[in-house]
Amino acid sequence: MSTREELAALRERLRREADGDGLGLTLLSAAIAAVLLSPVAWLFLRVTDIPTAEALSLLTAPSTTRVLTNSVALVATVTTATILLGVPLALLTARTDLPFRRFFTVVLALPLVVPSYIGAFAFVSAFGPRGVLADALAPLGVERLPEIYGLPGATLVLTLYVYPYVFLTTRAALFSLDASLVEAARTLGKGRVGAFREVTLPRIVPGIAAGALLVALYTLSDFGTPTIMQVDVFTSYIYVAYNGFAADQAALLSMQLLGVTTVILALESRIGQDDASAYASGGGGSATRIQLGSWRWVAALCCLVVAGLALVLPVGILLMWLFRGGLGYSGGGFEFELLFALNSIGVSAAAALVSVLLAVPVGYVAVRRASIPARLAERATYVGYAMPGVVLGLALVYFGVRFVPTLYQTLPLLVFAYVVRFLPQAVGTTTSSVLQVDTHLLEAARALGQSPGGAFRRVTLPLIWPGVLAGAALVFLTTMKELPATLLLRPTGFETLVSYIWRVQGAAYYGQAAIPALTLIVVSACSMAVILAQERR
Amino acid sequence: MTEDSEHTSRTRRRFLAAAGAVGATGLAGCNGILGDGGDGGDGGSGNGGNTLEDFRGSGANVGGRGEIRGTRMDDLPDLSGQLNIYLGGGEGGLYTDLLSLLGQRYPEFEPNFRLEPSSQLVSKIDEEQSAGGGSFADVFWAVDAGSLAAVASQGYTRALPDDLVEPVLEEYHPDNQWVGVAGRARAVPYNTNQLSESDIPDKVSDFPDTEALQGAMGWAPTYGSFQAFITAMRLIRGDQATRQWITRMQEAGVQQYPNEFVVSNAAADGELAAGFANHYYALRVKAARSNAPLDLAFTSGDAGALINVSGAEILTGTNKVDLAENFIAHLLTVEAQEFFATRTFAYPMIEGVPPVGGLPRVSELNPPDIDLQKLDDIEGTIDLLRDTGAL
Repeated sequence: MSTREELAALRERLRREADGDGLGLTLLSAAIAAVLLSPVAWLFLRVTDIPTAEALSLLTAPSTTRVLTNSVALVATVTTATILLGVPLALLTARTDLPFRRFFTVVLALPLVVPSYIGAFAFVSAFGPRGVLADALAPLGVERLPEIYGLPGATLVLTLYVYPYVFLTTRAALFSLDASLVEAARTLGKGRVGAFREVTLPRIVPGIAAGALLVALYTLSDFGTPTIMQVDVFTSYIYVAYNGFAADQAALLSMQLLGVTTVILALESRIGQDDASAYASGGGGSATRIQLGSWRWVAALCCLVVAGLALVLPVGILLMWLFRGGLGYSGGGFEFELLFALNSIGVSAAAALVSVLLAVPVGYVAVRRASIPARLAERATYVGYAMPGVVLGLALVYFGVRFVPTLYQTLPLLVFAYVVRFLPQAVGTTTSSVLQVDTHLLEAARALGQSPGGAFRRVTLPLIWPGVLAGAALVFLTTMKELPATLLLRPTGFETLVSYIWRVQGAAYYGQAAIPALTLIVVSACSMAVILAQERR
Repeated sequence: MTEDSEHTSRTRRRFLAAAGAVGATGLAGCNGILGDGGDGGDGGSGNGGNTLEDFRGSGANVGGRGEIRGTRMDDLPDLSGQLNIYLGGGEGGLYTDLLSLLGQRYPEFEPNFRLEPSSQLVSKIDEEQSAGGGSFADVFWAVDAGSLAAVASQGYTRALPDDLVEPVLEEYHPDNQWVGVAGRARAVPYNTNQLSESDIPDKVSDFPDTEALQGAMGWAPTYGSFQAFITAMRLIRGDQATRQWITRMQEAGVQQYPNEFVVSNAAADGELAAGFANHYYALRVKAARSNAPLDLAFTSGDAGALINVSGAEILTGTNKVDLAENFIAHLLTVEAQEFFATRTFAYPMIEGVPPVGGLPRVSELNPPDIDLQKLDDIEGTIDLLRDTGAL
């Protein structure tokens, strides 16, 4: 038998093997998806309480159409803006000789940890009518600042706080990219721009798309920012219905929201699939950095401006509230304890760990098996992410009380809620990394006698590691700031940073949010630094 | 009280006239209450025998408190055992200090509380009770009557004994399923540099046509108390008139704010001439900035004069009825009422304890004659606010 024939036989054997355990893995993936989708069942139960005619009239009411339009418009503008901001920043920090790269990498990822209700509130305090800026400019004769409320303002604020999704996933894709490809293109006479357009860009598109998907779904499910920026969107509608003891109405509107989610998921999956075939190779050595010359300081300045707006501004406003406590922004007698921070870190780490353990099989199977059930399972994990937290939390109250009363209001159920909400962040980054792993490398490993598990452990896992870590970081950071499900499902007496912030803000003692908010940002910064340090291990 | 129309012209007027001096000095004293909040809850003597002074806020206005009357904690049996409390609402956070004071007074008493938004707890109690296993809480203490009534109307509460609710005005324990423990009045905070008291009409229905208020008013339609105010208007004047009122307010250029503390601060800053807010927010602004050009007006006999209450109820399925009843009785003692009055600027619910800051007494205000239980019909209010684009 010639070598060629031997190789063909091995390929055939591998394929058959793959089909065999592919079924097992697909079933595992489907089971994970089914568990994660269980909260949606609660929506159906609730919705069946509403008479059909009433349901129809609610869904087709002019106000419903109006908020739906607003939501879609906001999703479109925010997604576009985050790509325009996140991709260049990822390139700057990952591929150029930008000064203080490591510092900027951490700082530029950090806005993700600022809860939107703090970020947006800070913006209004700074740029709103009679805000800090208006007060500062008034003596100079500036009487009116541009209007910050409305769609443009909401887009600006949301973009500044969610672009890190695109930033992080694009970076992960860049690090998984085989740099020798770019060098080959350059050798073949392509200019920098040409090589970027024809070689780099197509290969990082799934990464960008994964980030953009998270941005789109986050925007759809966010309540705080649109409310503060005075844009009526779907979630504010749901929230209000919910506050009016109309849980069934809220459920119905949530289902409509899930409809929009499905459309977005379908759109994004087209991008992923179109380019899946483009992955010839991956994981090679790192590229030589692009020399920016004197532009590197301009680039650094741009990074500083973004970080300043997204991070320094809210922190500054919080500090101002804290120190001018005499103005009624602090007081009320709530004591802050370090334990709250430890609680936050503990549950966030647990959520990140569980999410990664689940995301790797789901993401791997979806790419490698590429069967419809496997892809559906992967898509299905995203549904929880677009559910407003309060709806998800209540669904889990329902299931917890009925089926696992011993787990109700305990940490495992709370962590499960976080996983349902945030797993897609880990799935997205994992999937885009798996896409970049050259299957020929796996075949080579098998030909050299590795078992399927061994090949996965020794070839695939090291290659997808940056994506997996980025996913863990995203889950950690977003869990740190999650509020509604935390309030509903935490054990009694279990106080986290955000539950404390909510408590003092609810009583309108905004100044006292400063210390926990700063703690939140510092803790997250440390964990980001640790995680990003391993990015290119 | 509502039938006493003679009070109307006097009491609806801004309390400044009566409280001018107190407003400056007495409220400045509140600075002390609010300013040293970081160590709140440690006011107790720590030996389990804390006194009225420990429950009372420290500040200049306390000096003018005079004699207060009512049941004292010493008159009641000791609290003892573990009690699970669902504590609803933002301002509800202020009550956690009272719980720790009670914990200090009674070392055997262990209050386990969960603080969440009121409406969220209503849904939660519904899910828990409808599962059949009983609630996970013994007492529901919420910042609005609507939430209390929403739970009671589902049959998830047990009636309170007559002698327990007796010290409280009838309208704040309509069917004894719940009882009010602290009140908050709807009010109109206004900027005294831009408006004088005579600019503010006696009825909210006249606001949209008032020249001085054009383009200068603010409200917070996502805020629960504002929605209760609209619900009250619907109950009094019907949906059609309420819809018209909202539309006319919009035409008059009313501006939207995220909550009523911001509305009150905006009025103090002159960003707004006047706004719609709960009374205590203006007191908080004044407590922090005693010279802020801010005052409160009360309308009369209409939705703008609504008084809502924070109250407590006992959930079915509890096996701690005696403790729960004794706990609620404690909320109606002189000490707890003094806590609500001097630390949260709320209206006390027992006659023997007056409100702070020169506020008119509850019995001197002229709230609309409506059943607070009906305030749970927020759905219709939300539909209305949405249809008009206010939400």
